[in-house]
Amino acid sequence: MAGSAKSPLEELAATTGRGFPHLMGAREQTAGGLEDRRARLASLRHDSDTSVVLMGSWGRAEVTGGSDDDFMVLIDGPDRKVAPSIAEVRTVLDRAPGDQGVFGDRVSCDDLVDNIGLDPDKNTNLTRRMLFLLESVPGTAEDVYSAARKRVLGRYLDESTKDFRPPRLLLNDTIRYWRTVTVDFAAKEHAGSAKWGLQNAKLRTSRKVLFAGGLLPIFGCANLERGAMFGFLNAQLDMPPTDRIARAFLEQDAADTGARALGAYDQFVGLLDDKNLRQRLENLTRATAEESEVFAEVRLLGSQFEAGLLALLFETEPLSKLVRDYGVF
Amino acid sequence: MEQLRGDWTAQVAAAWAVSPFAVELSVLSETELGSFNDYLATAPSLPFRYVSIHGPSKERRLGEEELVVELLRLAGWADAIVMHPDTIEDPRPYRVLGRKLLIENMDGRKAWGRTHEELAQVFEELPEAGFCFDIAHAWSIDGDMTVSEELLDAFLERLGQVHVSSLTSELRHVPLTEVHKELFRPVLQRCLDVPWILEAPLRPT
Repeated sequence: MAGSAKSPLEELAATTGRGFPHLMGAREQTAGGLEDRRARLASLRHDSDTSVVLMGSWGRAEVTGGSDDDFMVLIDGPDRKVAPSIAEVRTVLDRAPGDQGVFGDRVSCDDLVDNIGLDPDKNTNLTRRMLFLLESVPGTAEDVYSAARKRVLGRYLDESTKDFRPPRLLLNDTIRYWRTVTVDFAAKEHAGSAKWGLQNAKLRTSRKVLFAGGLLPIFGCANLERGAMFGFLNAQLDMPPTDRIARAFLEQDAADTGARALGAYDQFVGLLDDKNLRQRLENLTRATAEESEVFAEVRLLGSQFEAGLLALLFETEPLSKLVRDYGVF
Repeated sequence: MEQLRGDWTAQVAAAWAVSPFAVELSVLSETELGSFNDYLATAPSLPFRYVSIHGPSKERRLGEEELVVELLRLAGWADAIVMHPDTIEDPRPYRVLGRKLLIENMDGRKAWGRTHEELAQVFEELPEAGFCFDIAHAWSIDGDMTVSEELLDAFLERLGQVHVSSLTSELRHVPLTEVHKELFRPVLQRCLDVPWILEAPLRPT
């Protein structure tokens, strides 16, 4: 996002004449907040192989008034006590991380790289790895962050990767993660989650941004020789997921569809930025959602967003062929 | 589908045989409202992901507000209610339909409601309403498809569904011809994410 070159989202806006005011506003808020948090985090002593990584809406460049300071202390090596400690990071960040046990913890890159699949790849490890790849930004020590991401990507682009085919291991793990998110949503509801409304709303919208923002670059690798995939994916992951999605719509000659899809998502981000509406969403249960105007709005926006993504994946070439060949089996 | 008019169960079955994705149930004549209400009274489980209902444009007898009451009731069954703008005398009562209301562009025979400038006046009165793009209607005004492009440029965000067919010289909807398939392709490429309603059966392949 450096320099004055237009981002893919800005290009989509220019092509279609449809602005994305809430997304662009959230990007500004993210940039401002990131500068502030980086300055504060820089005051903490760091071991040479640690980086404080900001996750979630920070990684999507979608920070709004209600966003948490989700973070992890990443160690580009084995797990051990490091500086900064979790407690030290908490003292300088405004808002405590979510309570899923995924954030606000020390994370060893060795675990992310060495434990892909099988029993050691627990739900938390898979979630951290995917969120690190797909929606994170360095809060400190960008060099450590970049080196760790390269290790994870390198592990995914293993010897099974072939020229002009989507990298299977990364594709399968990304799909596995999306399905895990959906299954875990049901499990949280079964366990009596107090945040059903907001979780449901995010499943319809920002979780799909996360998934599509991973899936589309992976399918983009089908245009490349094996040796070019690493650089391509690394560059894609430097962009927020909404840019990866906007780029795909532009490349697939589906700008109008992209403008409607991301326009719906833009409205959702605007809705989340409204404290009152967000609160109403948080308080919803499955029983009360049917009578809720704000939930009806979220459902409509989610449907429009999904319709755009489905059209991109199933109605444009060569994506539809790639999805058919690699998306199911 | 002409021979099935009035037999809603048969129409739904015929539509489902084409696609389980979307259907438009056309109550084009106000006289069909009775049989349609009888059908809905059986509480049918419609096997589609998207259901639109085309409101009456012929044999209108009900006053504007009475018709809107009927449409509002039908809206409970549907994702969208499609109306012809030239049959709307006073748009204001229709506002209660919110975003479920879709306004369709008219063909070259009609005096009004054909172009983006004319439809913009309707949307000014119905700010929440969406747009039902009838590509054959737009073609009937301008065979080089400029009107189509202008409509999609103007109402990009309002687009809710598309009507797809060809038209005879008398402007009757007929199955899409090979010539129109190619001519319409770049325009329809702009509408990939919304339901396409076939206004005439598919040609046998």
